[in-house]
Amino acid sequence: MNRLVPVLATLVVARAAAAEGPTAASDSFAIRPGGPLTVDGGLVLGFPTALPTGLSRGIGGGVTFGACPLRWGVRAAWVTATESTRAWEVTHSDLRLRITGSAQHDVGRGSFGIRLGAGGTLVHESRLRAQGMRAGLTGSDLETSSFAMVPAADLEAVIGVHVVGPWLLVMSGGPSMALVDGDAHASWTAEIGVAWQP
Amino acid sequence: MKRLVPILLLAACGDLSGFSGEVPPLATITIQTTGDFEAVRAPNAPDANLHVALVWGTQWLPEATCFLPPESPELAAVVAAGCRNPLAFTPTRVTADAPLVPGEPASLTLFDLPSADLMVGDVTARIAYASLVIYDDRDGDGVLRLARSRRLPTGGPEMGPPDPDPPPSSSLVYGASFVAMTEPDTRLAFREGAFVESGFYPRHGCGTPPPAFSLLSAGGFSFADAVAATAAGTLPSEDPATCVETAPEARTVQVPLRPPAEVREARCEQRREDSSVRYRRPPTDSIDLANLPHACASIPNLGGDPIAPEGTIQLVVASAPDDPCRALTHYTLLGCDDRSTLVCDVPEWDYRSEPPAWWPCPVQAAAR
Repeated sequence: MNRLVPVLATLVVARAAAAEGPTAASDSFAIRPGGPLTVDGGLVLGFPTALPTGLSRGIGGGVTFGACPLRWGVRAAWVTATESTRAWEVTHSDLRLRITGSAQHDVGRGSFGIRLGAGGTLVHESRLRAQGMRAGLTGSDLETSSFAMVPAADLEAVIGVHVVGPWLLVMSGGPSMALVDGDAHASWTAEIGVAWQP
Repeated sequence: MKRLVPILLLAACGDLSGFSGEVPPLATITIQTTGDFEAVRAPNAPDANLHVALVWGTQWLPEATCFLPPESPELAAVVAAGCRNPLAFTPTRVTADAPLVPGEPASLTLFDLPSADLMVGDVTARIAYASLVIYDDRDGDGVLRLARSRRLPTGGPEMGPPDPDPPPSSSLVYGASFVAMTEPDTRLAFREGAFVESGFYPRHGCGTPPPAFSLLSAGGFSFADAVAATAAGTLPSEDPATCVETAPEARTVQVPLRPPAEVREARCEQRREDSSVRYRRPPTDSIDLANLPHACASIPNLGGDPIAPEGTIQLVVASAPDDPCRALTHYTLLGCDDRSTLVCDVPEWDYRSEPPAWWPCPVQAAAR
Protein backbone atom coordinates (compact mmCIF):
# COMPACT_ATOMS: atom_id res chain seq x y z
CA MET A 1 0.00 0.00 0.00
CA ASN A 2 2.86 2.32 0.86
CA ARG A 3 4.26 1.74 -2.63
CA LEU A 4 0.90 2.32 -4.36
CA VAL A 5 0.42 5.83 -3.06
CA PRO A 6 3.21 7.51 -5.02
CA VAL A 7 2.16 5.68 -8.17
CA LEU A 8 -1.42 6.90 -7.89
CA ALA A 9 -0.17 10.38 -7.13
CA THR A 10 1.89 10.33 -10.29
CA LEU A 11 -1.14 9.32 -12.35
CA VAL A 12 -3.21 12.12 -10.88
CA VAL A 13 -0.55 14.68 -11.77
CA ALA A 14 -0.21 13.22 -15.26
CA ARG A 15 -3.95 13.37 -15.92
CA ALA A 16 -4.02 16.93 -14.72
CA ALA A 17 -1.23 17.86 -17.16
CA ALA A 18 -2.95 16.07 -20.02
CA ALA A 19 -6.09 18.00 -19.36
CA GLU A 20 -4.29 21.23 -20.31
CA GLY A 21 -3.89 19.96 -23.90
CA PRO A 22 -0.99 20.37 -26.38
CA THR A 23 0.02 23.61 -27.90
CA ALA A 24 -1.24 23.66 -31.50
CA ALA A 25 1.48 24.03 -34.14
CA SER A 26 -0.79 26.38 -36.02
CA ASP A 27 -0.62 28.71 -33.09
CA SER A 28 3.18 28.82 -33.24
CA PHE A 29 3.61 29.00 -37.04
CA ALA A 30 0.87 31.06 -38.51
CA ILE A 31 0.22 30.59 -42.21
CA ARG A 32 -1.41 32.85 -44.74
CA PRO A 33 -4.00 31.73 -47.22
CA GLY A 34 -2.23 31.38 -50.54
CA GLY A 35 -2.92 33.34 -53.70
CA PRO A 36 -3.17 32.06 -57.27
CA LEU A 37 0.60 32.05 -57.86
CA THR A 38 3.06 29.46 -56.53
CA VAL A 39 6.77 29.41 -57.26
CA ASP A 40 8.74 26.37 -56.20
CA GLY A 41 12.20 24.91 -56.54
CA GLY A 42 14.20 22.04 -55.17
CA LEU A 43 16.34 19.01 -55.69
CA VAL A 44 15.41 16.52 -58.39
CA LEU A 45 16.19 12.83 -58.54
CA GLY A 46 15.19 10.39 -61.19
CA PHE A 47 15.97 7.87 -63.80
CA PRO A 48 17.85 9.30 -66.79
CA THR A 49 15.67 10.09 -69.76
CA ALA A 50 17.70 8.18 -72.32
CA LEU A 51 20.30 6.15 -70.45
CA PRO A 52 19.38 2.57 -69.64
CA THR A 53 20.76 2.82 -66.12
CA GLY A 54 21.88 5.33 -63.53
CA LEU A 55 20.47 7.98 -61.24
CA SER A 56 20.09 11.55 -62.41
CA ARG A 57 20.48 14.32 -59.90
CA GLY A 58 19.94 18.02 -60.29
CA ILE A 59 17.69 20.94 -59.61
CA GLY A 60 14.26 21.93 -60.78
CA GLY A 61 11.54 24.43 -60.30
CA GLY A 62 8.30 25.77 -61.64
CA VAL A 63 5.54 28.29 -61.55
CA THR A 64 1.90 27.40 -61.00
CA PHE A 65 -1.06 29.66 -61.64
CA GLY A 66 -4.73 29.46 -60.82
CA ALA A 67 -7.01 28.64 -57.95
CA CYS A 68 -7.95 25.27 -56.54
CA PRO A 69 -8.81 22.71 -57.69
CA LEU A 70 -7.43 23.11 -61.23
CA ARG A 71 -4.17 24.88 -61.89
CA TRP A 72 -1.64 25.12 -64.69
CA GLY A 73 1.99 26.05 -64.92
CA VAL A 74 5.40 25.60 -66.43
CA ARG A 75 8.33 23.65 -65.03
CA ALA A 76 11.99 23.14 -65.81
CA ALA A 77 14.63 20.83 -64.37
CA TRP A 78 18.24 20.12 -65.09
CA VAL A 79 19.62 16.76 -64.06
CA THR A 80 22.74 14.86 -64.92
CA ALA A 81 23.94 11.29 -64.66
CA THR A 82 27.25 9.61 -65.48
CA GLU A 83 27.58 5.89 -65.98
CA SER A 84 30.40 3.72 -67.31
CA THR A 85 31.00 0.51 -69.16
CA ARG A 86 34.34 -1.02 -70.12
CA ALA A 87 34.29 1.02 -73.32
CA TRP A 88 32.52 4.27 -72.47
CA GLU A 89 31.96 6.81 -69.76
CA VAL A 90 28.66 8.41 -70.73
CA THR A 91 27.24 11.58 -69.19
CA HIS A 92 23.68 12.62 -69.92
CA SER A 93 22.49 16.05 -68.93
CA ASP A 94 18.73 16.42 -69.25
CA LEU A 95 16.96 19.74 -69.46
CA ARG A 96 13.33 18.92 -68.82
CA LEU A 97 10.78 21.51 -69.99
CA ARG A 98 7.13 20.89 -69.21
CA ILE A 99 3.77 22.57 -69.36
CA THR A 100 1.70 21.26 -66.49
CA GLY A 101 -1.87 20.95 -65.43
CA SER A 102 -2.79 19.88 -61.95
CA ALA A 103 -5.73 19.05 -59.78
CA GLN A 104 -5.27 20.06 -56.16
CA HIS A 105 -7.13 19.72 -52.92
CA ASP A 106 -6.26 21.67 -49.78
CA VAL A 107 -6.83 20.20 -46.31
CA GLY A 108 -5.71 22.34 -43.38
CA ARG A 109 -2.03 23.01 -43.83
CA GLY A 110 -1.74 20.32 -46.45
CA SER A 111 -2.21 20.39 -50.15
CA PHE A 112 -2.56 17.20 -52.20
CA GLY A 113 -2.68 16.95 -55.94
CA ILE A 114 -1.93 15.20 -59.17
CA ARG A 115 0.17 16.98 -61.78
CA LEU A 116 0.44 16.04 -65.43
CA GLY A 117 3.31 17.55 -67.37
CA ALA A 118 4.05 17.33 -71.06
CA GLY A 119 6.81 18.80 -73.15
CA GLY A 120 10.30 17.93 -74.18
CA THR A 121 13.59 16.94 -72.68
CA LEU A 122 16.76 18.29 -74.23
CA VAL A 123 19.40 15.62 -73.68
CA HIS A 124 23.07 16.42 -73.99
CA GLU A 125 25.18 13.32 -74.30
CA SER A 126 28.93 13.29 -73.72
CA ARG A 127 30.79 10.04 -74.32
CA LEU A 128 34.40 9.52 -73.29
CA ARG A 129 36.25 6.42 -74.50
CA ALA A 130 37.38 4.53 -71.42
CA GLN A 131 41.18 4.53 -71.13
CA GLY A 132 41.30 6.67 -74.28
CA MET A 133 43.38 9.42 -72.71
CA ARG A 134 45.94 6.92 -71.41
CA ALA A 135 46.12 5.38 -74.87
CA GLY A 136 46.67 8.78 -76.49
CA LEU A 137 43.41 8.92 -78.42
CA THR A 138 42.28 12.31 -79.64
CA GLY A 139 39.30 13.88 -81.38
CA SER A 140 36.16 11.88 -81.95
CA ASP A 141 37.97 8.65 -81.11
CA LEU A 142 38.34 9.99 -77.60
CA GLU A 143 35.18 11.98 -77.01
CA THR A 144 31.87 12.62 -78.73
CA SER A 145 28.94 14.76 -77.81
CA SER A 146 25.46 15.26 -79.19
CA PHE A 147 22.11 16.80 -78.42
CA ALA A 148 18.64 15.40 -78.83
CA MET A 149 15.24 16.79 -77.98
CA VAL A 150 12.82 14.05 -77.06
CA PRO A 151 9.10 14.38 -76.30
CA ALA A 152 8.30 13.44 -72.74
CA ALA A 153 5.50 13.47 -70.15
CA ASP A 154 5.35 13.07 -66.38
CA LEU A 155 2.55 12.17 -64.00
CA GLU A 156 3.35 13.16 -60.45
CA ALA A 157 1.69 13.11 -57.09
CA VAL A 158 2.29 16.43 -55.35
CA ILE A 159 2.18 17.07 -51.63
CA GLY A 160 2.61 20.51 -50.14
CA VAL A 161 2.67 21.47 -46.49
CA HIS A 162 2.30 25.07 -45.38
CA VAL A 163 5.11 25.62 -42.94
CA VAL A 164 5.10 29.27 -42.10
CA GLY A 165 3.78 32.40 -43.74
CA PRO A 166 3.78 31.96 -47.52
CA TRP A 167 6.33 29.11 -47.44
CA LEU A 168 5.57 25.48 -48.17
CA LEU A 169 7.52 22.29 -48.16
CA VAL A 170 6.69 20.45 -51.39
CA MET A 171 7.37 16.92 -52.52
CA SER A 172 6.43 15.30 -55.76
CA GLY A 173 7.16 12.14 -57.64
CA GLY A 174 5.85 9.73 -60.20
CA PRO A 175 6.37 7.97 -63.46
CA SER A 176 7.74 9.59 -66.56
CA MET A 177 7.77 8.60 -70.19
CA ALA A 178 9.91 9.75 -73.10
CA LEU A 179 10.17 8.81 -76.75
CA VAL A 180 13.83 8.09 -77.47
CA ASP A 181 14.67 7.11 -81.04
CA GLY A 182 11.05 6.10 -81.55
CA ASP A 183 10.96 3.84 -78.51
CA ALA A 184 9.04 4.59 -75.34
CA HIS A 185 11.41 4.88 -72.43
CA ALA A 186 9.79 4.66 -69.00
CA SER A 187 11.44 6.22 -65.98
CA TRP A 188 10.57 8.02 -62.79
CA THR A 189 11.23 11.39 -61.26
CA ALA A 190 11.00 12.88 -57.79
CA GLU A 191 11.53 16.31 -56.33
CA ILE A 192 11.73 17.80 -52.87
CA GLY A 193 11.94 21.51 -52.28
CA VAL A 194 10.26 24.65 -51.07
CA ALA A 195 7.50 26.75 -52.53
CA TRP A 196 6.49 30.33 -52.13
CA GLN A 197 2.80 31.18 -52.37
CA PRO A 198 2.27 34.90 -51.83
CA MET B 1 10.52 32.39 -79.30
CA LYS B 2 11.00 32.40 -83.09
CA ARG B 3 14.74 31.92 -82.54
CA LEU B 4 14.23 29.07 -80.10
CA VAL B 5 12.21 26.90 -82.48
CA PRO B 6 14.99 26.22 -85.02
CA ILE B 7 17.45 25.55 -82.22
CA LEU B 8 15.15 22.96 -80.72
CA LEU B 9 14.49 21.44 -84.14
CA LEU B 10 18.22 21.15 -84.75
CA ALA B 11 18.69 19.65 -81.35
CA ALA B 12 16.05 17.07 -82.12
CA CYS B 13 18.18 15.86 -85.03
CA GLY B 14 20.88 14.67 -82.67
CA ASP B 15 21.55 11.00 -82.23
CA LEU B 16 22.08 9.56 -78.79
CA SER B 17 24.32 6.52 -78.65
CA GLY B 18 24.44 5.79 -74.94
CA PHE B 19 26.61 2.75 -74.34
CA SER B 20 26.02 1.34 -77.80
CA GLY B 21 27.67 2.08 -81.11
CA GLU B 22 31.04 1.25 -82.51
CA VAL B 23 33.88 1.34 -80.01
CA PRO B 24 37.05 2.95 -81.36
CA PRO B 25 40.11 0.77 -80.80
CA LEU B 26 42.85 2.12 -78.57
CA ALA B 27 45.39 1.18 -81.23
CA THR B 28 45.52 -0.71 -84.50
CA ILE B 29 48.58 -2.61 -85.67
CA THR B 30 49.13 -3.89 -89.19
CA ILE B 31 51.17 -7.07 -89.50
CA GLN B 32 52.49 -8.84 -92.56
CA THR B 33 54.51 -12.03 -92.68
CA THR B 34 57.55 -12.40 -94.89
CA GLY B 35 59.05 -15.58 -96.31
CA ASP B 36 57.54 -18.75 -97.72
CA PHE B 37 55.16 -20.44 -95.33
CA GLU B 38 55.40 -23.79 -97.09
CA ALA B 39 59.14 -23.79 -96.53
CA VAL B 40 58.72 -23.63 -92.76
CA ARG B 41 55.44 -25.48 -92.28
CA ALA B 42 55.62 -28.33 -89.79
CA PRO B 43 55.26 -31.68 -91.59
CA ASN B 44 52.50 -32.95 -89.31
CA ALA B 45 50.41 -29.80 -89.41
CA PRO B 46 48.32 -29.55 -92.57
CA ASP B 47 45.44 -27.08 -93.02
CA ALA B 48 47.15 -24.25 -91.23
CA ASN B 49 44.92 -21.68 -89.57
CA LEU B 50 47.32 -18.80 -89.04
CA HIS B 51 46.63 -16.08 -86.50
CA VAL B 52 48.57 -13.25 -84.98
CA ALA B 53 48.41 -12.73 -81.22
CA LEU B 54 49.55 -9.88 -79.04
CA VAL B 55 51.62 -11.35 -76.21
CA TRP B 56 52.81 -9.18 -73.35
CA GLY B 57 56.17 -9.94 -71.81
CA THR B 58 57.38 -10.27 -68.26
CA GLN B 59 60.72 -9.97 -66.50
CA TRP B 60 62.62 -13.23 -66.42
CA LEU B 61 66.05 -14.22 -65.16
CA PRO B 62 67.50 -17.55 -66.27
CA GLU B 63 68.90 -19.98 -63.72
CA ALA B 64 72.65 -20.05 -63.25
CA THR B 65 73.12 -23.47 -64.85
CA CYS B 66 71.92 -22.03 -68.15
CA PHE B 67 74.48 -19.26 -68.49
CA LEU B 68 77.53 -20.39 -66.52
CA PRO B 69 80.17 -22.37 -68.44
CA PRO B 70 79.14 -26.04 -68.21
CA GLU B 71 81.44 -28.19 -66.11
CA SER B 72 81.17 -31.25 -68.36
CA PRO B 73 80.20 -32.17 -71.92
CA GLU B 74 77.18 -34.01 -70.53
CA LEU B 75 76.00 -30.89 -68.75
CA ALA B 76 76.64 -28.87 -71.92
CA ALA B 77 74.31 -31.22 -73.76
CA VAL B 78 71.69 -30.83 -71.03
CA VAL B 79 71.96 -27.05 -71.21
CA ALA B 80 71.67 -27.12 -74.99
CA ALA B 81 68.53 -29.22 -74.79
CA GLY B 82 66.82 -27.72 -71.78
CA CYS B 83 67.80 -24.06 -71.58
CA ARG B 84 66.20 -21.34 -73.63
CA ASN B 85 68.05 -18.26 -74.83
CA PRO B 86 68.88 -16.36 -71.61
CA LEU B 87 67.88 -13.16 -73.40
CA ALA B 88 64.65 -14.51 -74.85
CA PHE B 89 61.36 -12.68 -74.73
CA THR B 90 59.25 -14.28 -71.98
CA PRO B 91 55.49 -14.20 -72.51
CA THR B 92 53.01 -13.84 -69.72
CA ARG B 93 49.62 -12.83 -71.18
CA VAL B 94 47.81 -12.88 -74.51
CA THR B 95 45.36 -10.04 -74.99
CA ALA B 96 44.44 -9.78 -78.67
CA ASP B 97 44.18 -12.06 -81.65
CA ALA B 98 43.37 -11.82 -85.36
CA PRO B 99 43.38 -14.22 -88.31
CA LEU B 100 46.16 -13.80 -90.81
CA VAL B 101 46.99 -14.94 -94.35
CA PRO B 102 50.70 -15.42 -95.10
CA GLY B 103 52.09 -12.49 -97.05
CA GLU B 104 48.97 -10.34 -96.69
CA PRO B 105 48.52 -7.47 -94.24
CA ALA B 106 46.36 -8.18 -91.21
CA SER B 107 45.03 -5.74 -88.67
CA LEU B 108 45.20 -6.33 -84.96
CA THR B 109 42.96 -3.97 -83.03
CA LEU B 110 43.56 -3.31 -79.36
CA PHE B 111 40.60 -2.47 -77.16
CA ASP B 112 42.35 -2.71 -73.80
CA LEU B 113 45.46 -1.31 -72.21
CA PRO B 114 47.98 -3.61 -70.59
CA SER B 115 47.08 -4.08 -66.96
CA ALA B 116 49.30 -2.67 -64.22
CA ASP B 117 50.90 -6.02 -63.45
CA LEU B 118 52.29 -6.14 -66.99
CA MET B 119 54.04 -2.80 -66.66
CA VAL B 120 57.44 -2.33 -65.08
CA GLY B 121 58.09 0.82 -63.09
CA ASP B 122 56.00 2.91 -60.76
CA VAL B 123 52.91 4.91 -61.58
CA THR B 124 54.95 7.91 -62.66
CA ALA B 125 57.10 6.00 -65.15
CA ARG B 126 56.18 2.53 -66.30
CA ILE B 127 56.31 0.55 -69.49
CA ALA B 128 55.14 -2.73 -70.97
CA TYR B 129 56.43 -4.59 -74.02
CA ALA B 130 54.68 -7.06 -76.26
CA SER B 131 55.55 -9.37 -79.11
CA LEU B 132 53.35 -10.12 -82.11
CA VAL B 133 53.33 -13.88 -82.38
CA ILE B 134 52.33 -15.69 -85.58
CA TYR B 135 50.87 -19.11 -84.84
CA ASP B 136 48.85 -21.91 -86.32
CA ASP B 137 45.68 -22.24 -84.29
CA ARG B 138 45.50 -26.03 -84.45
CA ASP B 139 42.46 -26.40 -82.20
CA GLY B 140 40.58 -23.55 -83.86
CA ASP B 141 39.67 -21.74 -80.66
CA GLY B 142 41.15 -18.46 -81.88
CA VAL B 143 43.36 -18.13 -78.83
CA LEU B 144 47.07 -18.58 -78.41
CA ARG B 145 47.41 -20.68 -75.28
CA LEU B 146 50.69 -20.16 -73.49
CA ALA B 147 52.49 -23.37 -72.66
CA ARG B 148 54.72 -24.59 -69.85
CA SER B 149 57.32 -27.28 -69.65
CA ARG B 150 56.13 -30.69 -68.53
CA ARG B 151 56.94 -31.65 -64.95
CA LEU B 152 58.91 -34.84 -64.47
CA PRO B 153 57.98 -37.30 -61.71
CA THR B 154 58.92 -36.19 -58.20
CA GLY B 155 59.10 -38.15 -54.97
CA GLY B 156 57.08 -37.42 -51.87
CA PRO B 157 53.33 -37.30 -51.42
CA GLU B 158 53.18 -33.52 -51.32
CA MET B 159 54.46 -33.07 -54.85
CA GLY B 160 51.51 -34.67 -56.63
CA PRO B 161 51.59 -36.77 -59.73
CA PRO B 162 53.74 -35.81 -62.71
CA ASP B 163 52.17 -33.88 -65.55
CA PRO B 164 50.51 -36.06 -68.15
CA ASP B 165 51.98 -36.40 -71.58
CA PRO B 166 51.53 -33.18 -73.50
CA PRO B 167 48.44 -33.09 -75.71
CA PRO B 168 48.88 -32.72 -79.45
CA SER B 169 50.16 -29.22 -79.93
CA SER B 170 47.27 -26.77 -79.84
CA SER B 171 49.32 -23.92 -81.26
CA LEU B 172 52.40 -24.00 -83.46
CA VAL B 173 54.39 -20.79 -83.44
CA TYR B 174 55.75 -19.74 -86.82
CA GLY B 175 57.24 -16.40 -85.97
CA ALA B 176 57.29 -13.48 -83.61
CA SER B 177 58.17 -9.84 -83.95
CA PHE B 178 60.16 -10.08 -80.72
CA VAL B 179 61.84 -13.42 -80.12
CA ALA B 180 64.93 -12.44 -78.15
CA MET B 181 67.07 -9.43 -77.37
CA THR B 182 69.89 -11.11 -79.29
CA GLU B 183 67.94 -10.76 -82.56
CA PRO B 184 66.50 -7.80 -84.44
CA ASP B 185 63.03 -7.18 -83.09
CA THR B 186 59.98 -4.98 -83.39
CA ARG B 187 58.02 -4.73 -80.20
CA LEU B 188 54.84 -2.99 -79.17
CA ALA B 189 55.46 -0.70 -76.23
CA PHE B 190 53.00 0.96 -73.93
CA ARG B 191 54.52 3.76 -71.93
CA GLU B 192 52.80 5.67 -69.16
CA GLY B 193 54.40 8.68 -67.54
CA ALA B 194 58.10 9.31 -67.89
CA PHE B 195 60.57 6.83 -69.31
CA VAL B 196 63.30 5.43 -67.09
CA GLU B 197 65.85 3.12 -68.64
CA SER B 198 65.99 -0.24 -66.93
CA GLY B 199 67.05 -3.81 -67.57
CA PHE B 200 63.51 -4.71 -68.65
CA TYR B 201 64.16 -5.62 -72.29
CA PRO B 202 66.57 -2.68 -72.54
CA ARG B 203 66.86 -0.41 -75.55
CA HIS B 204 69.98 1.53 -74.59
CA GLY B 205 71.17 3.68 -77.48
CA CYS B 206 67.73 4.08 -79.04
CA GLY B 207 65.33 6.96 -78.61
CA THR B 208 62.86 7.25 -75.79
CA PRO B 209 59.64 5.34 -76.49
CA PRO B 210 56.78 7.73 -77.24
CA PRO B 211 53.96 7.93 -74.68
CA ALA B 212 51.08 5.45 -74.97
CA PHE B 213 51.33 2.76 -77.66
CA SER B 214 54.30 2.70 -80.03
CA LEU B 215 56.26 0.33 -82.21
CA LEU B 216 59.95 0.08 -81.41
CA SER B 217 62.51 -1.62 -83.62
CA ALA B 218 66.19 -2.30 -83.05
CA GLY B 219 68.89 -4.66 -84.21
CA GLY B 220 69.60 -6.46 -80.93
CA PHE B 221 72.85 -7.17 -79.11
CA SER B 222 74.91 -10.25 -78.48
CA PHE B 223 74.98 -12.33 -75.31
CA ALA B 224 78.64 -11.38 -74.88
CA ASP B 225 77.71 -7.69 -75.08
CA ALA B 226 75.07 -8.24 -72.43
CA VAL B 227 77.52 -10.01 -70.11
CA ALA B 228 80.15 -7.30 -70.60
CA ALA B 229 77.64 -4.53 -70.00
CA THR B 230 76.30 -6.24 -66.88
CA ALA B 231 79.82 -6.65 -65.52
CA ALA B 232 80.40 -2.94 -66.17
CA GLY B 233 77.14 -1.99 -64.47
CA THR B 234 75.58 -0.63 -67.64
CA LEU B 235 73.02 -1.72 -70.19
CA PRO B 236 74.00 -3.33 -73.50
CA SER B 237 73.76 -0.88 -76.37
CA GLU B 238 71.75 -1.11 -79.54
CA ASP B 239 73.13 0.22 -82.81
CA PRO B 240 71.35 3.58 -83.12
CA ALA B 241 71.18 3.14 -86.89
CA THR B 242 68.78 0.21 -86.37
CA CYS B 243 66.45 2.03 -83.99
CA VAL B 244 62.98 3.07 -85.11
CA GLU B 245 60.23 4.47 -82.89
CA THR B 246 56.84 5.14 -84.45
CA ALA B 247 53.16 5.24 -83.68
CA PRO B 248 51.44 1.87 -84.15
CA GLU B 249 49.52 3.06 -87.20
CA ALA B 250 52.59 4.52 -88.90
CA ARG B 251 53.94 1.32 -90.41
CA THR B 252 53.42 -2.35 -91.08
CA VAL B 253 55.21 -4.79 -88.82
CA GLN B 254 57.08 -7.36 -90.89
CA VAL B 255 57.37 -10.73 -89.19
CA PRO B 256 59.55 -13.39 -90.87
CA LEU B 257 58.09 -16.88 -90.89
CA ARG B 258 60.38 -19.41 -89.23
CA PRO B 259 60.31 -23.12 -88.41
CA PRO B 260 58.39 -23.77 -85.17
CA ALA B 261 61.46 -25.32 -83.56
CA GLU B 262 63.22 -21.95 -83.71
CA VAL B 263 60.49 -19.85 -82.20
CA ARG B 264 58.41 -22.19 -80.02
CA GLU B 265 59.65 -20.46 -76.86
CA ALA B 266 57.67 -17.37 -77.88
CA ARG B 267 54.64 -18.99 -76.22
CA CYS B 268 56.40 -20.57 -73.24
CA GLU B 269 55.65 -19.27 -69.78
CA GLN B 270 58.33 -19.85 -67.16
CA ARG B 271 57.57 -21.59 -63.89
CA ARG B 272 60.14 -19.48 -62.04
CA GLU B 273 61.09 -16.01 -63.20
CA ASP B 274 63.71 -14.97 -60.64
CA SER B 275 66.56 -17.36 -61.59
CA SER B 276 65.93 -19.47 -58.50
CA VAL B 277 65.90 -23.27 -58.76
CA ARG B 278 63.40 -25.64 -57.23
CA TYR B 279 65.31 -28.73 -56.09
CA ARG B 280 63.16 -31.83 -56.25
CA ARG B 281 62.99 -35.06 -54.30
CA PRO B 282 63.90 -38.02 -56.54
CA PRO B 283 61.04 -40.51 -56.87
CA THR B 284 61.42 -44.05 -55.57
CA ASP B 285 60.44 -45.50 -58.92
CA SER B 286 62.93 -45.02 -61.68
CA ILE B 287 62.62 -42.22 -64.20
CA ASP B 288 62.92 -43.15 -67.86
CA LEU B 289 66.06 -41.20 -68.63
CA ALA B 290 66.72 -42.91 -71.95
CA ASN B 291 65.28 -40.07 -74.04
CA LEU B 292 66.05 -37.26 -71.66
CA PRO B 293 69.44 -35.54 -71.73
CA HIS B 294 70.75 -35.63 -68.18
CA ALA B 295 73.96 -35.01 -66.27
CA CYS B 296 75.33 -35.08 -62.78
CA ALA B 297 76.65 -31.72 -61.72
CA SER B 298 77.62 -29.65 -58.74
CA ILE B 299 75.35 -26.94 -57.39
CA PRO B 300 76.32 -23.61 -59.01
CA ASN B 301 76.77 -20.65 -56.75
CA LEU B 302 76.91 -17.05 -57.93
CA GLY B 303 78.35 -15.86 -54.63
CA GLY B 304 76.77 -15.00 -51.36
CA ASP B 305 75.59 -17.56 -48.84
CA PRO B 306 76.09 -21.19 -49.88
CA ILE B 307 72.87 -22.84 -51.02
CA ALA B 308 74.11 -26.44 -50.68
CA PRO B 309 76.49 -28.42 -48.47
CA GLU B 310 79.89 -28.72 -50.02
CA GLY B 311 80.17 -31.58 -52.46
CA THR B 312 76.44 -31.86 -53.12
CA ILE B 313 75.72 -33.47 -56.45
CA GLN B 314 72.52 -32.89 -58.38
CA LEU B 315 70.95 -34.73 -61.25
CA VAL B 316 69.97 -32.25 -63.95
CA VAL B 317 67.47 -33.48 -66.52
CA ALA B 318 66.51 -31.57 -69.66
CA SER B 319 63.02 -31.53 -71.11
CA ALA B 320 62.22 -34.00 -73.88
CA PRO B 321 62.55 -32.82 -77.47
CA ASP B 322 58.77 -33.14 -77.94
CA ASP B 323 57.98 -31.04 -74.89
CA PRO B 324 56.24 -27.77 -75.76
CA CYS B 325 58.85 -25.80 -73.81
CA ARG B 326 62.42 -26.15 -72.70
CA ALA B 327 63.21 -26.63 -69.02
CA LEU B 328 65.59 -28.21 -66.57
CA THR B 329 64.61 -30.43 -63.65
CA HIS B 330 66.95 -30.65 -60.66
CA TYR B 331 66.97 -33.69 -58.37
CA THR B 332 68.99 -33.83 -55.16
CA LEU B 333 69.32 -36.50 -52.48
CA LEU B 334 68.97 -33.83 -49.82
CA GLY B 335 66.21 -31.27 -49.75
CA CYS B 336 64.69 -28.60 -47.56
CA ASP B 337 61.24 -27.26 -46.98
CA ASP B 338 62.31 -24.18 -48.92
CA ARG B 339 63.01 -25.91 -52.22
CA SER B 340 65.32 -23.17 -53.48
CA THR B 341 68.09 -24.04 -50.99
CA LEU B 342 69.70 -27.21 -49.75
CA VAL B 343 70.95 -25.74 -46.47
CA CYS B 344 68.59 -26.16 -43.54
CA ASP B 345 68.62 -27.45 -39.97
CA VAL B 346 66.12 -30.23 -40.60
CA PRO B 347 66.07 -31.63 -44.14
CA GLU B 348 62.73 -32.38 -45.72
CA TRP B 349 64.33 -35.49 -47.17
CA ASP B 350 67.81 -37.01 -46.98
CA TYR B 351 68.50 -40.02 -49.17
CA ARG B 352 72.26 -39.70 -49.01
CA SER B 353 72.62 -42.88 -46.95
CA GLU B 354 70.01 -44.76 -49.00
CA PRO B 355 69.57 -43.33 -52.50
CA PRO B 356 66.97 -44.69 -54.92
CA ALA B 357 68.19 -47.72 -56.86
CA TRP B 358 68.12 -45.87 -60.17
CA TRP B 359 70.11 -42.82 -58.94
CA PRO B 360 72.82 -42.36 -61.56
CA CYS B 361 75.03 -39.85 -59.77
CA PRO B 362 77.72 -40.14 -57.12
CA VAL B 363 76.32 -40.30 -53.60
CA GLN B 364 77.55 -37.87 -51.02
CA ALA B 365 78.29 -39.12 -47.58
CA ALA B 366 75.48 -38.50 -45.13
CA ALA B 367 76.12 -35.62 -42.80
CA ARG B 368 77.42 -36.73 -39.41
